[in-house]
Amino acid sequence: MILQILVNGILLGGFYALIGVGFSLVWGVTNIINLAHGAIALLGSYITYYMFQNLHIDPFITLPVSFIVLYIFGYLVQRYLMNMVVKAQIFMLLILTFGMEIFLVNFMTTFFSADFRSVTPDYAGKSIEIAGVVVPYIRLAVFAICMIVTAIMGFFLEKTWTGKAIRATSLDLEAAMMTGISPRKIYSITFALGSALAGLSGSLLSLTQAFSPNIAGGLTLRAFIVAILGGLGRVEGAFLGGLLLGVIETVSSFYIGESYKNAIAFGLMVFMLIVKPSGLLGRKYYAEVKH
Amino acid sequence: MINKKLILFFAFIIILILLPFVISGYWLRVLTQTFLFGAIATGSNIIIGFTGYPAFGNIAFFGVGAYVTGVLTTKYNMPFFATLPFCALSGIIISSLLGIPILRLKGHYFAIATVGVMETIKELVDNMTELTGGGLGLTLPIMHGEPEYIYKFFYFVMLGVMLFSLLILFIVSKIKQGYALRAIRVDEDAASVMGINTPLYKTFAWAVSAALVGITGGVYAYWLSYIDPHTVFGGTYPVKMFAMILLGGGTTVIGPMLGAFILELISEIVWSKFIAIHGMVLGLLIIFIILFLPKGIFETFKGGFSFKKLFSNLRENRL
Repeated sequence: MILQILVNGILLGGFYALIGVGFSLVWGVTNIINLAHGAIALLGSYITYYMFQNLHIDPFITLPVSFIVLYIFGYLVQRYLMNMVVKAQIFMLLILTFGMEIFLVNFMTTFFSADFRSVTPDYAGKSIEIAGVVVPYIRLAVFAICMIVTAIMGFFLEKTWTGKAIRATSLDLEAAMMTGISPRKIYSITFALGSALAGLSGSLLSLTQAFSPNIAGGLTLRAFIVAILGGLGRVEGAFLGGLLLGVIETVSSFYIGESYKNAIAFGLMVFMLIVKPSGLLGRKYYAEVKH
Repeated sequence: MINKKLILFFAFIIILILLPFVISGYWLRVLTQTFLFGAIATGSNIIIGFTGYPAFGNIAFFGVGAYVTGVLTTKYNMPFFATLPFCALSGIIISSLLGIPILRLKGHYFAIATVGVMETIKELVDNMTELTGGGLGLTLPIMHGEPEYIYKFFYFVMLGVMLFSLLILFIVSKIKQGYALRAIRVDEDAASVMGINTPLYKTFAWAVSAALVGITGGVYAYWLSYIDPHTVFGGTYPVKMFAMILLGGGTTVIGPMLGAFILELISEIVWSKFIAIHGMVLGLLIIFIILFLPKGIFETFKGGFSFKKLFSNLRENRL
């Protein structure tokens, strides 16, 4: 039994890792807490849902579509909206993204309705049993995709020129500008990547559970906790934080009660903020508190 | 100049006091709601605008206040007015206890920690079913009397709470401790070097703010006579509160209240006409305020209205 719970927690954690990576990247690099992250993820869910429902396209094939659409969306939002206020006091940006969240959630409620939707392809119910532990195929696939994308993201940040520029910007904005990096462009690319990863995780979410515009806040808060637990702007951090949150949430909702799940997750986050605000893998210079 | 402002302010208050004898029903409720937001924004401004700590989850104390009144009136048969000191007290206790660890955090981290506190308290209230009714909510005893009398009663009580908050904010802005808070906002390290006990003053600011928001919550609970965790903790309250403070200007005494009047009355007019897109308009309005009026409407248009100033605001914070 305990093994099954742990496996469920890890599978859930893979999803949390993916939704946390984009959030943590944006926060670490641009110092923006994107409260619209969950709402953007849901845009991805609706892309998958409508393509599956109306065009009968396999949900896994819709993943690149939602990635690209939300990449463009994120790029435009950062380039023409967020960059305008990036130098203002920090809570201006917080409110701005909250304004975006309210707008997007209401937009989705108005045009896509507040009903709970889910994507159920033919193979939805199939599962595999290993040593008494039941693992649904879809969850396994979602977990694998989350891991692969997170790994690619880490590789991208470490090895490519753009990735290095993003990391340089997050470490020291002035120094990065002196070496010829355009922060305007890097911020836009970072936010675009964050949105694209959110959209991807939203598309995967639609496969594993029912969704409605109202769960946007919950998703954002999960991404949040993952980012805090692991340390900002670091892919490994989000990976570890996601798995940790997944396991803790599953275990605590089994032993203490489903209804205390959120309180425990938040308690954990506040505790982490007090004890080690830089997160488990937070290092010096990585997303220190900026004003 | 100061006298002119003062006269305008008192004229405004007198108009508000006389209004219930002219209007009725719907508009009384709308104005009561506006006073509610005015009180929340004014009370929260002590920690947000004066001290510069973005307590995004300050609405937690609103919810706590609402539930303190709710539980005391239903379970212990206390009269309504007697519960209000307990609302303030619960806010002070919780904020003082949490303030010691949480107020060490800065900026984003503080904002998020307060959201965490808000959500945790919400979950706890949601789960203490025997005391609070849990997710089903809590029904408070309804006031006796004619509906018209009840409307007027809450109109004046809420107006009183708002003016009380305003008075406290005014006093804080004038006393020595208030200057200490502003010093913390401008530069906390420098304030500390000057001999200001920053943890103490920050906790003091948060406690006062929590007490005021708590009292507002108590009145809200008795006014609506039904509360549930999902409406009193969160919803659109935190962001509305923040937008009001930004719109009016967080460094001023009267700004948040006027921000509440502008935003809430606009929102009410929009709500009654376009119910379907109300949320979208609210979102766009907030984005507009941040883009064009980040310093608040009064600071921006000090020397008269002009579109130029809107666009110079836009250029100022661009990357």
